Amino acid sequence: MNDKLTSKMTWLQIALVVAFCFLAAFFCQHNDGLYQQTIYQVNQVQNGKATKMTDEFQNVDHYHNQRFFGTITNGKYAGHHLSIKNAYSDSHAMDHQYTKGQKLFITLHTQPKLHATVKDIKRDAPIAFLLAIAISLLFVILKLRGVTVISSILINTILFWVAVKLDHNNNGAAVIWIFSVLAVVFCFVTLLLVMGWSKKMLVTLSAVLCATAATILITLIVFGLTNERGIYYESMQYVTQLPKPLFIAEVLIGVLGAVMDEATDIVASLATLKQERPELSSMAIFKSGRAIGKSIMGPLINVLFFIFMAETLAMTLLYLKNGNTWHYSFSMNMSLGMTSSLISGIGIVLTVILSSAFAGLWIKGDER
Amino acid sequence: MGAITALGIVLLVLMIIVGGKQGITSFLSLVVNFGILFFTIVLIAFHLPPIIVTIVASVILLSITIFWSSASDNASTTAFQASVIVLILIVIIIIPIEYWAQVGGFGLEDSEELEGLSTYVGIDFTKVAIATAILSSLGAVAEAAIAIASGLDEIILQHQAIKSDQLFLDGTVIGKQIIGTAVNTLFFGFFGSSLALFIWFYGLNYSFGDILNDKVFAAELIAIVVSLIGVVTTIPVTTWLMSFKLKRLHKAQLKR
Repeated sequence: MNDKLTSKMTWLQIALVVAFCFLAAFFCQHNDGLYQQTIYQVNQVQNGKATKMTDEFQNVDHYHNQRFFGTITNGKYAGHHLSIKNAYSDSHAMDHQYTKGQKLFITLHTQPKLHATVKDIKRDAPIAFLLAIAISLLFVILKLRGVTVISSILINTILFWVAVKLDHNNNGAAVIWIFSVLAVVFCFVTLLLVMGWSKKMLVTLSAVLCATAATILITLIVFGLTNERGIYYESMQYVTQLPKPLFIAEVLIGVLGAVMDEATDIVASLATLKQERPELSSMAIFKSGRAIGKSIMGPLINVLFFIFMAETLAMTLLYLKNGNTWHYSFSMNMSLGMTSSLISGIGIVLTVILSSAFAGLWIKGDER
Repeated sequence: MGAITALGIVLLVLMIIVGGKQGITSFLSLVVNFGILFFTIVLIAFHLPPIIVTIVASVILLSITIFWSSASDNASTTAFQASVIVLILIVIIIIPIEYWAQVGGFGLEDSEELEGLSTYVGIDFTKVAIATAILSSLGAVAEAAIAIASGLDEIILQHQAIKSDQLFLDGTVIGKQIIGTAVNTLFFGFFGSSLALFIWFYGLNYSFGDILNDKVFAAELIAIVVSLIGVVTTIPVTTWLMSFKLKRLHKAQLKR
């Protein structure tokens, strides 16, 4: 009986999730009225002939012309039919092949007569669909805890955006300070949501903050001693202000989550241990903390390593295909990601030491 | 000495202090993972099919990350099998989404860097974007799988007679604890690595709609949300595999 009930629940859940995801995508597919930019729907596509082309590095690609017909779906010219020309290559590095049914952002020109050029494709529907999958999975698997997780992400996103705003208003002059304060606030809010207000939470918070500060300090010392040889700040992407402080701020925020993750694990396990066996000395607690940390640090460093390194893939590939050496392609694209990974690694290892030590010193057996 | 070498040495020394022999193994896994990642890029540059190369490399990367961790044999075998299943799920989700959103290649924000580079290299960058998204999720999936499998293995060791249904419930409890913080690892990694991009958006007055539809932002967001989906699905997959194995073990013991 009970089994039947649960399986029914699951089918209902699955149906709800699927409906929710498609509803989210459907809404975004039809929200053109919310945009200021002109949106255009492709109704019919004529593909032209392909032209073969070879660049100076003997890379072979094909260039295609296409013309499509469709209608403007929002704004002053809603309902107007229009035909637009487009060209794309096989590699789609900077161009797109458009197909029937897609919605595009276009720039309208009214002189001499109404015509248009494509700016970009509208991407909100797939993103909404994916976010809907993620949110419903969080709820289905975590149940109520999903609310905490999602609210923590939301609060942190808002805080992050406020910090970006402050940084911009300061023209990037105080980027490290702004993001250091943000880091403290981030930790406080996140740990409060994960652990609640308790002594355990304070121990974790101090371990996280000390480990992060020590990591930045070590990084600056190493940078000072080596004169930052092999660090190519000019290869940083999307830089609109002084790159070095920006890089430090990036690493600082990037490593924070992993360090909190680890410190929470270690402190929580040690608190349970101390509760079960109050006779353990501070040194014994420290040693078991180190044993726990030893096993999580490796996989955790790999988490950040893959996040930092994978995003350099496309640009590195392009460098290699443009006749650059492996070494140069690495230096100009992957070296900063590598540096971030190593600094994060240092932070993660320091957290093992500090959270075990703080837990050993401050957690007493009778407390929860 | 370059700064990267110096940081590497600092990390190695710290890892040895904390982990001894395990510290050296963890450091080595980082180095080998880097080698495989770079080799993957080189293979794609030699026009091997990007998605297939990535999937093969992913399985190798997962096995190194998981088998070189200090988890027990049973835990790491289960974690590896579970993470490969999750990897397949991720590939199934990511391919249609990337073609739908067309986030391959470079955005307008990259124009300055692309100056002087030929972008017509004959490699489909949509596939490269799929490879990027798959690779960036690997670490998170491996970590979650190891954590859950080790936790469950510990429970089995302590309560030999535990029923597989009970184990499944325990796995969900452990999973819930892990996810809460693993999500933070992912999102802070995302905030950190795209800080410069956010400052760019703010400085150039991008509207919410502009950001949401921006190619570079969409690509990064998709990668991180797919990792999140991977981590979340790792919980039931690992737990289910572990309790399935336990059930089989109990049956074998009964027969004997």
